[in-house]
Amino acid sequence: MAGLTFSGVRKTYPNGVRAVHGIDASVGDGELIVIVGPSGCGKSTLLRMVAGLEAISEGEIRIGERRVNELEPADRNIAMVFQNYALYPHMSVFDNMAYGLRNRRTPRNEIARRVAAAAKTLQLEDLLARRPGQLSGGQRQRVAMGRAIVREPDVFLFDEPLSNLDARLRVQMRLEIRRLQQSLGTTSLYVTHDQVEAMTLADRLIVMNGGVAEQIGRPLDVYRHPATAFVAGFIGSPAMNFLPATVAATGSGVIISGTGHTLTAAVTACEPQRPVLVGLRPEHLLPASEDSAALKVAVDLVEALGADTLAHGILPGDGAGPALTVRLEGSRRVDVGDTVPLTVSPDHVHLFDPGNGNRLV
Amino acid sequence: MEKRVVFSGRWVPVLLLAPQVTITLVFFIWPASQALYQSVLLEDAFGLSRKFVWLDNFRILFADPLYLDSFGRTAFFSSVTAALSLGLALVLAVMADRVIKGTALYRTFLIWPYAVAPAVAGVLWFFMFNPSIGTLTYLLRFLGYQWNHYLNGTDAMALIILAASWKQVSYNFLFFLAGLQAIPRSLVEAAAIDGAGPFKRFRTIIFPLLSPTTFFLLVVNIVYAFFDTFGIVHAITSGGPAQATTILVYKVYSDGFIGLDLGGSAAQSVILMAVVIALTVFQFRYIERKVAY
Amino acid sequence: MIERRPWLNVLSHFVLCAGVLVTALPIWITFVASTHPADSLMSGRAPLWPGAHLFENYATVLDSGLRAAGSVPVGMMMWNSLIMALMIAVGKIVISIIAAFGIVYFRFPLRRTCFWLIFVTLMLPVEVRILPTFGVVASLEMLNSYWGLSVPLIASATATFLFRQFFLTVPEELAEAARIDGAGPLKFLFDILLPLSRTNIAALFVILFIFGWNQYLWPLLVTTDESFYTIVVGIQRMLAVDDAEPAWHLIMATTMLAMLPPVLVVICMQRLFIKGLIEQEK
Repeated sequence: MAGLTFSGVRKTYPNGVRAVHGIDASVGDGELIVIVGPSGCGKSTLLRMVAGLEAISEGEIRIGERRVNELEPADRNIAMVFQNYALYPHMSVFDNMAYGLRNRRTPRNEIARRVAAAAKTLQLEDLLARRPGQLSGGQRQRVAMGRAIVREPDVFLFDEPLSNLDARLRVQMRLEIRRLQQSLGTTSLYVTHDQVEAMTLADRLIVMNGGVAEQIGRPLDVYRHPATAFVAGFIGSPAMNFLPATVAATGSGVIISGTGHTLTAAVTACEPQRPVLVGLRPEHLLPASEDSAALKVAVDLVEALGADTLAHGILPGDGAGPALTVRLEGSRRVDVGDTVPLTVSPDHVHLFDPGNGNRLV
Repeated sequence: MEKRVVFSGRWVPVLLLAPQVTITLVFFIWPASQALYQSVLLEDAFGLSRKFVWLDNFRILFADPLYLDSFGRTAFFSSVTAALSLGLALVLAVMADRVIKGTALYRTFLIWPYAVAPAVAGVLWFFMFNPSIGTLTYLLRFLGYQWNHYLNGTDAMALIILAASWKQVSYNFLFFLAGLQAIPRSLVEAAAIDGAGPFKRFRTIIFPLLSPTTFFLLVVNIVYAFFDTFGIVHAITSGGPAQATTILVYKVYSDGFIGLDLGGSAAQSVILMAVVIALTVFQFRYIERKVAY
Repeated sequence: MIERRPWLNVLSHFVLCAGVLVTALPIWITFVASTHPADSLMSGRAPLWPGAHLFENYATVLDSGLRAAGSVPVGMMMWNSLIMALMIAVGKIVISIIAAFGIVYFRFPLRRTCFWLIFVTLMLPVEVRILPTFGVVASLEMLNSYWGLSVPLIASATATFLFRQFFLTVPEELAEAARIDGAGPLKFLFDILLPLSRTNIAALFVILFIFGWNQYLWPLLVTTDESFYTIVVGIQRMLAVDDAEPAWHLIMATTMLAMLPPVLVVICMQRLFIKGLIEQEK
């Protein structure tokens, strides 16, 4: 078992494209870190550099105390679960799991023992003689996991392992992966673009965008105190509402541009009249009485999900006004055309710099 | 398209490519450059004297009515053979694609001539049209035509066209059938709902969609008629009578191995290579365009 | 089909049956001729119905051959054809696979040059460069040998391209997984790539076996010693008798024997054969 350290890791492709712009992070022993971000943000490249499938252009990656930059993938003592599983189609489930061990000249009875143990954990015992083509998606996923487990590696690498599964199976496998990782206590790096997966699985998150780690932290910390407007918009569903605004001259709140709405917020660190970007999570907008309302949204689309209802609308003002999504109790009845009065706690008003997107205060 | 992941190693790839590259150099590139070199030399048959003559061999060739005739005959032979075998194959493939039962059975009985060597195909037709005992000669005589490809150049040409087409239909049939089966049924059904009958559907939907296959086959058939039919000509007519079936590949062979005109034969080789290269480039241009769109 | 047009169905079957008959006609006539004694093929017209000399004629050619073709037993010619076809098919497949593997899975200097060098052979059929190729083979003293018959025909751009195309479609992750599992390039080739290529190899083998068996011009040139005649060349030698009507009943028996192995291969391995042929287009 070992931790994992990135120091100043960069990736520049031979054609000049820069995929990763310098990552510094460390993963504790037994920790599960999820790297999350939109496609093309460099998250897979980072993972593949740990695996040894991409060369590291600059910086250093250590597994435990060992610098692994120059090591072949097979010598790094890692195991990887691929998005499409990459099972060898012509080999049985048993042979798929045993292949890596055989290449390392593990004794035959040791191979049998490890494969049997992994198969038991993953409920694959009856499938060991089958070929991948005869398995369902979920079963293939388990075989890919089994292949990783039997190697007893220092680090597990997961490259979007659930994205080929249907929604129901994805939730189930997500729980299984978490349970398995906790019982094995193996350091893991998990790449996904799905923020729900990221929130539920991670001990800590690395949110990446454009080759840069925008924020590293525990899921709830990231949710509560997003470091940038990008992180704020990426984590949380439905996504955070962003409204352009200016700091009020009185220094007690912000004025939403073009609507005249004023929100109370902690703006003591900002100079008056400064333009800001206000971020409001849909679930933090609460219905209020007509006179205590800070915002009034004119609803133009309603999605009733049962447990809750999403109301989409605009803040009326001069011109079209900014769009806003609100999450309401499922029991509450809203119709298109209604105007819903809302209030929001000052703690839940996020402020960002409209230029660089950084969190203010 | 390139692989993202590659193995490292300097000597492994060299060893992997060595056999292929060696054979290519020794048996392809070297002889081809020899042909180029000899085509500008005048050499006697015993290799005692050689003289550098620039493009004289080519000039002589293009001044030679026999060679020009052979060019014309090859063009005629190739286009008739290609047209005949493509046309018949298309009709058969469309029919085989249409029938609900028996497609596989018909296919089995139509494709096996592919396995017959051109020379053997020539012998089969040679025997049927044998002027003294041939079954079809007898039939023609009964109909009032005296067939004799030993003496009549037209008969000889017809014979090699028949033999060459008979063998090639199977190949074309397979490709047309595969092409037809690859056309999405929904397209044909949509056309039917739009009110197009079977013939109109073929003309406006199926045939245009089949055009990449048709084009590919056209090039392949021309190459086949140019080069692979040597066996047919050599085995049954030996280019005769009176050069009536001397197509270009046969002339390269007979001028070089029988006439021992090394320079002339080499010059003919060079011209044929130019023809193949032109056809290949043409085909690849087209394929690239197809891929792009 | 979409609408009911009974007469079109009848027409289709009629055309197809006619096609099958025309295709089969030469074989029937050949087969019939191979079952008759010599004198019934001397004059008049060839018979249309089999005779009684089937076994006699075939036994004669297989055993002792014809004087016109150096009295080499046809059995021996078939053996030569078989050796040549197998050497060409196996040789082409082996060198094409390893060359394609080298080109797809490695980066090395002159990689593009090698690629184009192989590509050029696509444009040089043996027929257009016979004389100089013959010269090379003669100077390497490979005339009248199995090596001389097969090696010059072994380099094949087509097969190399087929395998290259196939290797490019193998998912990248498979190679990555193998690397993480500690497999080097050769282990990857033998453990993963070759098993995955099985059907492609088999399909190509069918095509190349037929290609090899049916070679004509090349064996015609490099075999002057009768004991190296292949069966296709042998038939031509039997036909080329001066001033006499050829021994048709025996030639036709030999012709049947020359067609039998490749035709059986095509019919018995039809699925592989079609796959192998159609993939060349891509």
